[in-house]
Amino acid sequence: MAYTEEELKKELETKEYEYGFYTDIESETFPNGLNEEIVIAISKKKGEPEWMTLWRLEAFKYWKEMEEPEWANVHYQKPDFQAISYYSAPKKADPNKTLDDVDPELLEMYKKLGISVDEQKKLQNVAVDIVMDSVSVATTFKKTLAEKGIIFCSISEAIKEHPELVKKYIGSVVPKRDNFYAALNSAVFSDGSFCYIPKGVRCPMELSTYFRINQAGTGQFERTLVIADEDSYVSYLEGCTAPSRDENQLHAAVVELVALDGAEIKYSTVQNWFPGNKEGKGGVFNFVTKRALCEKNAKVSWTQVETGSAVTWKYPSCILKGDNSIGEFYSIAVTNNYQQADTGTKMVHIGKNTKSTIISKGISAGKSQNSYRGLVQVNSRADGARNFSQCDSLLMGNECGAHTFPYIEAKNKSAMIEHEATTSKIGEDQIFYCNQRGIDTEKAIALIVNGFSKEVLNKLPMEFAVEAQKLLEISLEGSVG
Amino acid sequence: MDLKDKLISSFMAFENNVDVEHPVHDVRMAAIKNFEEKGFPSKKEEAWKYTSLNNIQKIDFSIFPKEDNALEYKDVKRYFIHEIDTYKIVFVDGIYSSYLSETTHDGVDICLMSAALTKPMYKQVIDVYFNKIASKDESLTSLNTAFSREGAYIYIPQNKMPKKPIEILHFSTGNEASLLLQPRNLIVVEENAEVQIIERHQSLTTNEVLTNAVTEIFAAKSAIVDFYKIQNDAPTASLIDNTYIDQKDKSHVKVHTFSFGGKLTRNNLNFYQNGEFIDSTMKGVTILGEKQHVDHHTLVHHIEPNCESHQDYKGIYGDSSTGVFNGKIIVDKIAQKTNAFQQNNNILISDKASINTKPQLEIFADDVKCSHGCTIGQLDEDALFYLQSRGIPQKEARALLMYAFANNVLSSVRIPELKTRINKLIAKKLGVNLGFDL
Amino acid sequence: MLKIKDLHANVDDKEILKGINLEVKAGEVHAIMGPNGSGKSTLASVIAGNEHFEVTQGSIELSGEDLEEVSPEERAHKGVFLSFQYPVEIPGVSVTNFMKTAINESRKAKGLEDMPAKDMLKLIREKSELLEIDRKFLSRSLNEGFSGGEKKRNEIFQMAMLEPKVAILDETDSGLDIDALRIVASGVNKLKSKDNAVILITHYQRLLEYIVPDFVHVLHNGKIVKSGGKELALELEEKGYDWLKQETAV
Repeated sequence: MAYTEEELKKELETKEYEYGFYTDIESETFPNGLNEEIVIAISKKKGEPEWMTLWRLEAFKYWKEMEEPEWANVHYQKPDFQAISYYSAPKKADPNKTLDDVDPELLEMYKKLGISVDEQKKLQNVAVDIVMDSVSVATTFKKTLAEKGIIFCSISEAIKEHPELVKKYIGSVVPKRDNFYAALNSAVFSDGSFCYIPKGVRCPMELSTYFRINQAGTGQFERTLVIADEDSYVSYLEGCTAPSRDENQLHAAVVELVALDGAEIKYSTVQNWFPGNKEGKGGVFNFVTKRALCEKNAKVSWTQVETGSAVTWKYPSCILKGDNSIGEFYSIAVTNNYQQADTGTKMVHIGKNTKSTIISKGISAGKSQNSYRGLVQVNSRADGARNFSQCDSLLMGNECGAHTFPYIEAKNKSAMIEHEATTSKIGEDQIFYCNQRGIDTEKAIALIVNGFSKEVLNKLPMEFAVEAQKLLEISLEGSVG
Repeated sequence: MDLKDKLISSFMAFENNVDVEHPVHDVRMAAIKNFEEKGFPSKKEEAWKYTSLNNIQKIDFSIFPKEDNALEYKDVKRYFIHEIDTYKIVFVDGIYSSYLSETTHDGVDICLMSAALTKPMYKQVIDVYFNKIASKDESLTSLNTAFSREGAYIYIPQNKMPKKPIEILHFSTGNEASLLLQPRNLIVVEENAEVQIIERHQSLTTNEVLTNAVTEIFAAKSAIVDFYKIQNDAPTASLIDNTYIDQKDKSHVKVHTFSFGGKLTRNNLNFYQNGEFIDSTMKGVTILGEKQHVDHHTLVHHIEPNCESHQDYKGIYGDSSTGVFNGKIIVDKIAQKTNAFQQNNNILISDKASINTKPQLEIFADDVKCSHGCTIGQLDEDALFYLQSRGIPQKEARALLMYAFANNVLSSVRIPELKTRINKLIAKKLGVNLGFDL
Repeated sequence: MLKIKDLHANVDDKEILKGINLEVKAGEVHAIMGPNGSGKSTLASVIAGNEHFEVTQGSIELSGEDLEEVSPEERAHKGVFLSFQYPVEIPGVSVTNFMKTAINESRKAKGLEDMPAKDMLKLIREKSELLEIDRKFLSRSLNEGFSGGEKKRNEIFQMAMLEPKVAILDETDSGLDIDALRIVASGVNKLKSKDNAVILITHYQRLLEYIVPDFVHVLHNGKIVKSGGKELALELEEKGYDWLKQETAV
């Protein structure tokens, strides 16, 4: 039965963006450590063809020769790469565990996020008797997508079903030896999503993937590949809106976007991995490489709301290779307690008349450190390149730090580059004004922070924006005495 | 032998000519040790990402120049701000020229570092200030410290102001095929005192010269210091200028840097605000052509509350020149009510020119106003057309617009004759006669 | 309705209010006049609960309840409204969004549900018409880039939306041209009822031509030195404040 557009719309209204899939979960754990055998075993486990195994091995070879980067403005205990299991089963549901055993603080947060009790149970590995519907939902939509020729599946599936596409594009934007974590990811990636939009097709719905880091290994080294063929359009959402309480965990994802001639990709992320507790214990290390390649007349927009992780190292970038291509980066990064974030973007102008826009809003509270690091590079042949960057920082309390490191390199005389940055704090007069209108201080801060972040929030798909707003509020709770 | 080894082995020869019993010599020994450990900075270091010293290290520099180097005043007059009367501290190939200089001890000390480092009457000042704000970590500063012997020594006591501005000039005559100079300046301006200083390095031939200079400036409470750096050297002269400024309560220090010449110029300008209600101002005009390279690294460290800093750098880059601006502002946790502003505007006028800029804010206090802005662009085409439509030829119109672009940096130059001089240099550098007196 | 007894207040250990006594009943309009630095704005801020000022002595009662321990937002919920002399900018927050938050927070405090969007829209339409406010204006960031007149008109719009019991208008007339003044004044007059009260703080008599006070008080050096009917304002206009200063000195 074919879906009509009308039915589809209705479905979307009620389901909002629940569409997504979770990677298949295996129930076997590999021993700790990383060597060639492990890489081969991962590949074998996933039933990959030989070319993929070799590809992984090559990446592993590079990784062994590389060193963990130190230039970012973050300080942490480096993970012991031999103490991690690179392929592990999720925690088994404990039949005797109930929600009463779960940290009440965490449940409170779930409540605020509007996560259902069942969902809460699932997150905490509490046995549930209700089967989540997401798989069937996915299947229903899959049919609609298939009618338009859109491929949306896990990367493992794509390697098997669409090897020609994967072979052509994987590693084409983020090469295996690009950086330490990208090499690591290339060698051991567990799963991730794959998406292909054929020529001239406008994807009728927002595609989304949820990654939950407590689904063990699957979330740690995900690999995403999105290919938008000529003149196609897709809006892609990636999110993790449920924090989990694991110890320091390494998360090293790679996301590659390919926007062919005239294509447009909107990639939105809401990231809320566990940031560690108030004392700075625990939390996720989020070392992500995200990059887009823009061919002629193509456009890629990265929008991100980052509130989680203990340490974030992330620079969604655009290689503006084709003439008239456009890159955009809209970011809100919130850090509280002992969080550290070093995030920003790279806009590399290669083609003529390429344009890029960077809007970055950093909010630091508690004892956190928030850095914007960006590069705008105009190559010598990039005639008529334009860039506008704005980096604003908001500081809350005087134990946190805000830093900006914008690199600008121009090698073409027709380049027009503008960069502005400001740092400010929430004024006592603003708070009192809100108080006088009946708005308490906590709410007033939320309101002011929302206003500060508005330019970026506006870029998110609606449902995501609402969620992101809530996240901002929760992340900053208790940050002003 | 590479330059680093040569320098380290030369240190022993250097020791034969200085008093090794003097306390300053311990400072030199520690410094040569640091240089030996670190060596010349490489592009791998973040601070040297855009400036390479590789080619410079290949040159076989003379480290101790020969001592016969008489210059006639008439031959070098044009490098002085000769329209006005000034005190002059002049060095020829690194050696003090009493013939060209005009020093004083009349209420203020405007004289020589070599004297200050050896004579007992200066001991107290040297003990308190020498090598106190200069970095002990940065390798090129250490290199200078190790060989520190000569330079300008300026001491302005409380409530004093010298009768006229001070010029510090360094000439190199080309007596050596290639010459390394390492002048070391110490400027101490006591409470409520004031001074104006103009500094210039000038090579008189096309022989290679490398100057690795260190200047320490101490501005006590309510002191006022204006420092002007004129960098319009020969195309074979390179300069690494390390300036360190320590400011106390209510002091105002302005440093203007005019970079028009030279082969490779690196300015490390560091302000440390050790007090409240301080104002630090850095302004720069850079106009480059050919294969010139200028790298401005500024640092303002806001250590105490209620201070301000202002940075305004304009650059115009032609031919195959390259420019770097790296402006760092650090605001410490207790430095509340800091106002820090930074502006860097650049124009590229050639296909082969490039500019790398990195404004950098590191802020740990919350009640601050900090902003930085940076632009790279071209001349306003509408303005250009407007001027052309009024009959101004395109070339002149461009020059006029470029002049206007750099102009607000000049407005804070407080010596009118110097301002005129700089204006003329700008006009010359832009290759046009503006047809009116600037 | 509002009863102020022997109110003393400091800022940074300097005494600004030195014993204010004032009673405002429902349905009344009071004008507080006085030269610059007499403590007029301080009085307004203290009534609204600004913690920048320290109350050292005396009390403020609203409908019989002592406000000493009551936070600024709770005072607002109880019906205290301050039209700011210098309204504060909040970038990125629209006037509508701000008002929605304020009204719903007040309702929440009273145990009411959020106001339905339909009713909210109706209310906004009604009140913006009252003050001749362009609807486009309501989507702009709060006070950001507003002209002086727009800011003041926006304050009165907020007053109309929140329907306070006691509205304190701090120098609402300053920065207004004659047309804007007329609109603002007519808005205030329409909002006036037998159940609420208005306190006008002003330097000049001009506003009082449009909003006629029942009582006029003169504040000088942190104290009310003279009270009277509306004719007192005219007298002040004629003679200036020096006359009073001399009189009180004696």
